[in-house]
Amino acid sequence: MWSQKKRIERDLNRWRDAGWVTPEGETAIRADLAARGGFNLATVLAMLAAVLLGFAVMSFVGANWQDMSKLMRLSLLFSALWAATLASGAFFERGMDGFGHACAVLGSAIFGANIMLISQMYHMDGNAPDAVLLWAGGALLSGLVLRSGPALALAMVLVCFWAGWETSQRDEVFWPFLPAWGLVSAGFYWLGWRPGVHLAGLALAGFIIFFGYVWHGGHQQLAVTLVGLGLMAAAIVGDKLRPDLSALWPPALSYALAITYFGLMALQYDDNPTRPEFIGLALATLALTLAAIWWGLTNNNRGALWLGYAGFSVEIMSVYQKTVGSLIGTSLFFLVAGLLVAALAFMAYRLNLRRQNMESAI
Amino acid sequence: MSDQNHRNVWIAVALVAVVQSAALAWMVAGRVALLKQGREMTVEVIPFDPRDLFRGEYVVLGYSFSGTGDTTLPAGTKRGDRLYATLKPGEGTKWDFVSVSTAYPVNIDAGHAVLSGTASDVWPNQEQGTVKGRIRYGIETYYVPEGEGHGLEQQVRDHKIDAVLAVNSSGQAAIKALVVDGKRIHEEALF
Repeated sequence: MWSQKKRIERDLNRWRDAGWVTPEGETAIRADLAARGGFNLATVLAMLAAVLLGFAVMSFVGANWQDMSKLMRLSLLFSALWAATLASGAFFERGMDGFGHACAVLGSAIFGANIMLISQMYHMDGNAPDAVLLWAGGALLSGLVLRSGPALALAMVLVCFWAGWETSQRDEVFWPFLPAWGLVSAGFYWLGWRPGVHLAGLALAGFIIFFGYVWHGGHQQLAVTLVGLGLMAAAIVGDKLRPDLSALWPPALSYALAITYFGLMALQYDDNPTRPEFIGLALATLALTLAAIWWGLTNNNRGALWLGYAGFSVEIMSVYQKTVGSLIGTSLFFLVAGLLVAALAFMAYRLNLRRQNMESAI
Repeated sequence: MSDQNHRNVWIAVALVAVVQSAALAWMVAGRVALLKQGREMTVEVIPFDPRDLFRGEYVVLGYSFSGTGDTTLPAGTKRGDRLYATLKPGEGTKWDFVSVSTAYPVNIDAGHAVLSGTASDVWPNQEQGTVKGRIRYGIETYYVPEGEGHGLEQQVRDHKIDAVLAVNSSGQAAIKALVVDGKRIHEEALF
């Protein structure tokens, strides 16, 4: 959001200097940009305050607590919950959305603290992840009903925490994560909250990568790679079919790319492939990163571009470290890879030249 | 902002606060019902060790029916699976296993009790096709006022401690009170 705003401001200066935008137009555009809000210092501080206050409530098991009757403690917990939620309503009503979101997050944090404190008051010691799931449900409700992206973000974090905890208790893939993830992601989509795309992408990428280590006793990196490739294809097709969702597809492609890359890396370095397999996988990885760079450049997708650059460098370093059997083998590998990339560069140059010629002919 | 929007904000706020409060109230109500109506049984406590970061101080309680590494669980049991332990009164306030099953047992003796729990550790023996393991019933944690945890832990170590449980008809159990040398301490008020 920041970078977009910055870029518009930079472009605006250029357009004004070129005489394409009138001073009135410039003022109007700047006013519109400012009104669209986004993040500002007060909002960020309010959000941090909400997180701190949430932790304060969570650690509120001090000495005075013991002298109160259970009824007194319960009414305190319920009052705190209502106060935070009512405050969020008051801020939203006054158009102070940043503070409204902060209070919505605080309300959901207090809801979670209350679950913990009630568990403690009544010595409940059941399945702890169930309590986290209940908490996630409360945050999801708050996010949807109050239309608060940050509260939904809390729900997503809790869903991940819940699934991670459940997985650690049973050493197998915890499938219920997927519907829960889908529900919160649908919430992000419904609200049109852009940071949610990244949170959902990160959560799903984490799940799929983890899946490779847990499913059927682990070593399922090929499946991870294939799922990643499938998601990449889906993001590319989706971009063609629904160009209106332009905020979704480029990050989706980047996360899918990261999953595929991770799968290929794990196949090369976690599992123990034979030498020909390793060379094949290394070439596939380099091809993937080059394709990502090409896609990033031609489609203006900076995420894919930088992932491609980073992935390419990391792969080269890793191959160098592993050495393909012998130093001669390694140098041969780099020689072949280098020649291939040089050939690609030449082809790209020729293609570009031909396109320019065609354009000038028209 | 229009009147309609004003009203919508307050309806949304009320909905969130009411539903979240109802979820918490449901937690409390379920627990109170269990403590009030559950069948009371006194069981011997076998000490363990304390302390937790998030929730103040507590003592960890173990029981004769928590299972040792030698307890046989139903074949194919995995960690986290739900189990039902049928218990019979043993020496003093000790309770001993009659059986462990994956479903709530039918035809239980009047003197027996059924507790529902989950397999917390499992050690499968591939050759014999058997599973040994331990069971948690959700009655292993007892929170104590700040500063009292250590003292209570000592008592658990040096004296004979019993826990008074409330058990409902589906095998769910809750701690009602602790008993030290036959005297009830830390009796839990419902509210």
